[in-house]
Amino acid sequence: MASLIAGVAEPPSSFAGLTTALAVLMLVIEFGMLQATLLRAQIRLYAAQSVVISVLAVVVAFARDVPELYGLAAFSVLLKVVAVPLVMFRLLRRTNQEIAGSRALGVASMVLLAVAVAAFGFFASARFQLGSPVLPAAALAVPVAVILVSFVLMIVRRDVASQAIGFFALENGVSLASLVVAAGLPLILEVAFLFDLLVAVVVFGVLIRVHHEQSESLSTEALTELRG
Amino acid sequence: MEEVWGGRRALHELACHAVVPAMTLAIPVVQALQVLTVLVVAPGINGVIARVETRLQGRRGSRVLQPYYDIAKLFGKEALAPFGTGWVFLAAPLVAMTCYLTVPLLIPVLTTFPLPFGYMGDILGGGFILALASFVIAIAAASTGSPYAQLGASRAKTFSAITEPVVLFVVFTVALVTGTDLPYALAKTVRASADQIVRPAHLLAAAALFMVILFETGRIPVETHTGTNEFGMIEEARSFEHSGPYLALLRWGSTMKQLILFVILINVFIAPWGLASDASLLAVALAILALVGKCALLGVGIAVIDDSFAKLRLFKITEFVSAAFMLAVLSVFTLYFGGG
Repeated sequence: MASLIAGVAEPPSSFAGLTTALAVLMLVIEFGMLQATLLRAQIRLYAAQSVVISVLAVVVAFARDVPELYGLAAFSVLLKVVAVPLVMFRLLRRTNQEIAGSRALGVASMVLLAVAVAAFGFFASARFQLGSPVLPAAALAVPVAVILVSFVLMIVRRDVASQAIGFFALENGVSLASLVVAAGLPLILEVAFLFDLLVAVVVFGVLIRVHHEQSESLSTEALTELRG
Repeated sequence: MEEVWGGRRALHELACHAVVPAMTLAIPVVQALQVLTVLVVAPGINGVIARVETRLQGRRGSRVLQPYYDIAKLFGKEALAPFGTGWVFLAAPLVAMTCYLTVPLLIPVLTTFPLPFGYMGDILGGGFILALASFVIAIAAASTGSPYAQLGASRAKTFSAITEPVVLFVVFTVALVTGTDLPYALAKTVRASADQIVRPAHLLAAAALFMVILFETGRIPVETHTGTNEFGMIEEARSFEHSGPYLALLRWGSTMKQLILFVILINVFIAPWGLASDASLLAVALAILALVGKCALLGVGIAVIDDSFAKLRLFKITEFVSAAFMLAVLSVFTLYFGGG
């Protein structure tokens, strides 16, 4: 215990602190999505999370001299901050329904549940003993927590929009993990991931529209009804 | 000529030596100044917040010194106690004031170096003393039999039970970062390097503490500070039955509690600069000015929050506190797993 405290007492370097803080900010935004009550707010939170990961990519590119990451950051800004929110806004323009009240749990219990799940993620990834050449170990625990919390988001929110956003946020967590584990991942692979995301956005968008046209709501409750 | 210059230099040196001991304050004086600063400045910070808030709303607002006039007016008024209340009702404002006068001894108000009483209690000790103050006020409110005072007391106790875990986790963070839970130690650690400031655990803990302070000082997302609507009140409702000098003490005490919490946030967490590093008169005077400036700045920030958010419904306060709790828990997590 004493050695643990002694190890913790010295601060991480500014780079490690800044990158971990950015990663944790992504997790905090993910928690924000749990309780967003407006469709627009939900999409904006996703855009904000994508801005943070792009900034993180730029910071890593600058500090660790990985020029490909500048390209990745530019692509991810174009796609995740501009294109995806625009597509979502366009697709959902005609749905004049809000997503408040689609929660299966109260906000406080939802946050406690998500904190417990994130704790599991932190403990589990501490067990892996994974090191990363470019980013500190704490930054690796965060993407695991982001992915787990986006699962919670998809499970406890019973509206299709939040579930789609939860899926996109999950992709943000995965790209954060890839940034931590393999910052030098070939650019073409990363860009392929991003275009995968674009396909997912279009498919989800169409599904949301079809669902909305059929059930006149964004809630998934209507899907449980049997049809003869 | 040489001789004259030499003589002048000698005179000058003599004068310096004569002046320097007079310029250095005795340590107990600095200790007393910590308490006096909090005592005297506290209502003024409230005045600044009220003034900025009304200006932002496009109104003229009252003078910055208005809280002092209010307290002076109340001291000149007659004190009445409801029928059937005992000595607890009258003693509570005095006990609370004593508590608020004790806490500034424990925290770095003016100096970077710990003063003799500085190690008398840690953050938890200071927290206990603040909790004692709020406990006696709640007891006094409960003893009156007035529905609104009792409602305020019971609400204040209920919600402070919810914020307690947040404060605990912030203390855990401090303990993990410094290996101790003395406020002076954390302030010193933060001053030591810029790395300390950007580390996520520190940012998260400071944000969580800021949210707790918004709650504890009855600011906007939680409570309307200057409203007259009893149903939305938490802390403000507790003093309904007090009057005259007792009410003045409670008002003054609540501004002191606010300033103490501001000082903990500023001088321990976010900006422990501008403090006196020795006991010289100039350094201490500058430290007092810097403290007033920093607290006024924080007050402006709080006024902006006051004007840009709506008050939460009473049952939504748990959501606000759960957000603060999430930040505090995440800060402990990042510390445990990877030294963030």
